[in-house]
Amino acid sequence: MSTTTGELAPPERAAPADRHEPGRNRAEARWLLWPPLAFFVVALGVPLAALVIRALDNETGDNSFAAALTMPVFLDSLARTVVMALVVTALTVLLGTVYATAVAVSPGWLKFLLVAALLLSLWTSIMVRTFGWMLLELPRGAIFWLGDLLGLMDEPLGVYQTALAMYPAMVAVMLPFAVLPIASALAAIDREQLNAAAVFGSGPLLTFRAVIRPAITPAMISGGVLVFVMALGFYVTPLLLGGPTNMTVSGIISGQLRTAGRPDLGAAMSILLVGGTIAIYLVADRLFKVSEKWG
Amino acid sequence: MTDRSLLRAIGWYRAPVIAVGLLASLLFFVPFLVVVATSWTSGSFILFPPTGFSLQWYETVLTDRQWLNSFWLSIVVAVIATAAAVVLGTLGALGLTRVRSRALQRWVRTLFIAPIALPPIAYAVGLWSVDRQLPFLDDTLVSLVLGETLLAVPYVFALVSSALAGGDPSLRPAASTLGASWPMILWRIELPPLLPSILGGTLFAFTVVFDEVVLSVLLLPPGTQTLPLKMFTASQEAFSPELTAASTMVSLLAIVVLGGAQLVSNRRNRAARLRRKASA
Repeated sequence: MSTTTGELAPPERAAPADRHEPGRNRAEARWLLWPPLAFFVVALGVPLAALVIRALDNETGDNSFAAALTMPVFLDSLARTVVMALVVTALTVLLGTVYATAVAVSPGWLKFLLVAALLLSLWTSIMVRTFGWMLLELPRGAIFWLGDLLGLMDEPLGVYQTALAMYPAMVAVMLPFAVLPIASALAAIDREQLNAAAVFGSGPLLTFRAVIRPAITPAMISGGVLVFVMALGFYVTPLLLGGPTNMTVSGIISGQLRTAGRPDLGAAMSILLVGGTIAIYLVADRLFKVSEKWG
Repeated sequence: MTDRSLLRAIGWYRAPVIAVGLLASLLFFVPFLVVVATSWTSGSFILFPPTGFSLQWYETVLTDRQWLNSFWLSIVVAVIATAAAVVLGTLGALGLTRVRSRALQRWVRTLFIAPIALPPIAYAVGLWSVDRQLPFLDDTLVSLVLGETLLAVPYVFALVSSALAGGDPSLRPAASTLGASWPMILWRIELPPLLPSILGGTLFAFTVVFDEVVLSVLLLPPGTQTLPLKMFTASQEAFSPELTAASTMVSLLAIVVLGGAQLVSNRRNRAARLRRKASA
């Protein structure tokens, strides 16, 4: 899995022979590309169309989109989600850069420890990791136990089921997605440039500004965009840690179906969420070539 | 394997950077260790620190029909969805190299990565709406498997596609000049060097599907549960040590399987590197 993501793929060259054999080329492209494209139409296109139909199919005759956009609960959750995603993205990219650098410059056994921590996080389920944070943040949970032991805390911890409770868990869940691309960008820096900087007497700060930062910025951006769009759609972690009064958009949507019995509103909110997220992804993709860094 | 150039470039910042990195690694280790610790309690509540030591909750989980059934259902869904995602993702990555228009290439690539950005709950509502329109899909796993496959495709596609970019672009025209047909070139020339990344993608896709919970929340037929969904509902109803015991077991299983795979592939890579050095 160490070769996962961020390799900067050089643009593929069209093989020269293809140009002389257009017929053969077309047959190949058809056989290879059409099955997955057909699958995308069925698995992605049809559900999105069903969302639109469901949102417009409203017994009361109101416009579900207008209804959703005037619901204070929805608007609150939208603001909460965007703020959470922005803060989590900023923290994750910052910490991810330091973490990736730490992996690169650690001596043997420390490097092993840092990589093992990353892999542990990637391999255990988000559900399990969220349970861990619940147990830490409960009023008399593990953090309180430690604080009590050190004589720092005598009141039970009040963070569980508040908006603040989501943040550390979200950062922990998202961190690998920022670390992996940045680590492979760091590994790809031209060592001669670093040597040259050192030979000409550049200190660590100048080398970072002039050589390292420009080389890892694309990876930081594509990692950040990915973390941001994933954080917008996160469901389990905010729901379990933030509790029913601090729901993110995902929690509100599932509430419309599971408890409120308003699938049309849920569908309208889903379209708004999908539309917003995909729009952000597409714009970021055009600007920063995110998906090319991912494949 | 210390990187001298990078070390020199970073200078005395090395120690603080490593210190922050180690502190950040606690974000990964501590929650997991707390889950493990609470699972061996001899009491009947989740408490930290655990009271006493006993494996009673492991026994409870391993003899409970519901936990076992949900585990097997997760395995079945993950195996089918992963197999489909591996075929589709690999075909897509190979097909992309045959697309000549640059603009089209970019759009196809964007499309294949996009499911990572798709908010799972909104997608689940979409699939749920399809089920309402087509009642014969109700009480089947079709929409769940279809959805999980879509969510897994990008990981396979990304891994295979980046392996393809590192391959030798002149092999295909060479084989074609020698008269090989394109299915033959695909099978004998292109696929073999991709196998390690296809296997890596398979493991990644399997973990993603196995852990995915949001689609199961809305799409499973009543009375059935995948393992993550069982955990999710258990955490909302009765937060008992059963839950952390089940979490510990499934995590250890994942660590053993995926860690083993990682070890094997590391050893292969090292052997390949040595061979290359010997022949050079």
